[in-house]
Amino acid sequence: MSAADWAVLTAWLIFLVSYGLWRGRGSKTVNQYLLAGKTMPWYAMGLSIMATQASAITFISTTSQAYVDGMRFVQFYFGLPVAMVILSATAVPIFHRAKVYTAYEYLEQRFDAKTRALVTGVFLISRGLQCGLALSAPAIVLSVILGWPFRVTILIMGGLVVAYTTLGGIKAVTWADVQQMMVILVSLALALAIAVWRLPSDVSFFDAVRIAGAAGKLNAVDLHFDWNNQYNLWSGLIGGMFLALAYFGCDQSQVQRYLTGKSIAQSRLSLLFNAVGKIPVQFFILFLGAMVFVFFVFEQPPLLFQPVQLKQVQALPEYAGIQNQFDRAFEARQAAARRIKNASDAERPSAITEFRNAEQDMDTARGWARKRTGDDTNYIFLSFVTHYLPVGVVGLVIGVIFSAAMSAISGEINSLATVTVIDIYKRHFRKDAPDHHYLVASRLATAFWGIYAAGFAVLTKGFGALIVMVNQVGSLFYGGMLGVFILAFFVKRVGGTAAFIGVLAGEAAIFAAARFTNIAFLWYNVLGCLVVIAVALVVPAKARN
Amino acid sequence: MVDDPPPVLGTWRRVYIFVVVYAACLIGAFYAFTVHFAP
Repeated sequence: MSAADWAVLTAWLIFLVSYGLWRGRGSKTVNQYLLAGKTMPWYAMGLSIMATQASAITFISTTSQAYVDGMRFVQFYFGLPVAMVILSATAVPIFHRAKVYTAYEYLEQRFDAKTRALVTGVFLISRGLQCGLALSAPAIVLSVILGWPFRVTILIMGGLVVAYTTLGGIKAVTWADVQQMMVILVSLALALAIAVWRLPSDVSFFDAVRIAGAAGKLNAVDLHFDWNNQYNLWSGLIGGMFLALAYFGCDQSQVQRYLTGKSIAQSRLSLLFNAVGKIPVQFFILFLGAMVFVFFVFEQPPLLFQPVQLKQVQALPEYAGIQNQFDRAFEARQAAARRIKNASDAERPSAITEFRNAEQDMDTARGWARKRTGDDTNYIFLSFVTHYLPVGVVGLVIGVIFSAAMSAISGEINSLATVTVIDIYKRHFRKDAPDHHYLVASRLATAFWGIYAAGFAVLTKGFGALIVMVNQVGSLFYGGMLGVFILAFFVKRVGGTAAFIGVLAGEAAIFAAARFTNIAFLWYNVLGCLVVIAVALVVPAKARN
Repeated sequence: MVDDPPPVLGTWRRVYIFVVVYAACLIGAFYAFTVHFAP
């Protein structure tokens, strides 16, 4: 990066932390620190919810995924609008009227202490593991791209997040998220404009879209049903809806956002804002990935996008031959793309076949290199950013990726601290301490979870398989959590013991499905939820009530 | 806690219907996009 890029990156990070601290000033009570004194407007909560989900690894991976696999990932979000409507009509007014700090506090009001403790434990385990991942995964990528030591990257990202989250509480987190989300959208729009602008002069935007379509990258909707395929219309609508219900209705990192609303209406609007905005934003990010693919149809990509891996491969004796094969395939693919652009309807199929054959030859060469050094998919978008965006914009986009990581982590450590203090410390250790005592405890818990996330990230850096496993942890627990909240909201005749047994049975069913079947993970949420409800309803009436 | 009406469309029920219809139209548009640009 150039000096100007470093200046933009540094200025952006300083602004972000200062702004968060400034907006978070004056949190003198626990209510102000954890719930912003219930003063937040809908647009701040809505953008914050969107920013928390847009973690850096999602941001880096999503564009790269479109490059490799097309736009089908957008279907993952198709169930989200209906989930938001259901939660706006149910969870939002229920949580607000219950005057709770956490979703799990409500479970004790509705059921009993053991059900609250069980679900609290489930949340702390799953979110605690994911929190470390949210820091380590982008730090690995950014450390390679920037040439920084991994621990320095962790220290900078973790240190900034802990500073503004610990000092400013939820207000700092939310207002920093608002800035981050707006800059994320602006920088993505810039990246898209530059990808299209840098195409050869004889290739228009519409030509680029046609080429992306011919390459199979614009596959946004797949009507074919398959239990083992996570991205089709049906898994997105049904599995995605259950996942969104669980994530926004039972996960404290999201629930806490809309509990800061100044009224039920403001909280509802924040969720409905996401219902309307989330799918187009995801579509846009994936479309950017497809356009980056077209950009690299006319600009030769490296054999591997990960620079360290590329150097390793270049040292191998077979490299020259493989690179030569890759170069020839690239030329053939580019020629086929130009044929697709100018082809009549009759000539188009043969041009597409030619394009695909060349693409396959390139993939074979890349596959050879990847086999020796590892997957480089997550580096595709960042490679485009650092090599082809103008000076200044590179610093901004790298800053945005830092921001995306920080917004996800800040939300997570803030919610973990809230649950630790409200559901564990206050509930089981110090019930009647003064308000200031809990405020100090909340700050300490926030700092603790921030340090924990950084430590976890450093310790798990070398464990690729572990990281993959941890990434799936959320989907193993959400179904059980959703089931118990549905019982709490809608099934009045079910009591605490039945709900408790139901959650255990639901979790057992999910783990059995994960262990013994190949069904896509989106269906775990549906399965776990249904088992919780079914078991709670069939346990003996004495336990049920 | 007071349950205020929405700022537009009069009732929450109408807002919810709008969101669901909007999502259905969006998915329909994406399907048309997929079919139009399919290889």
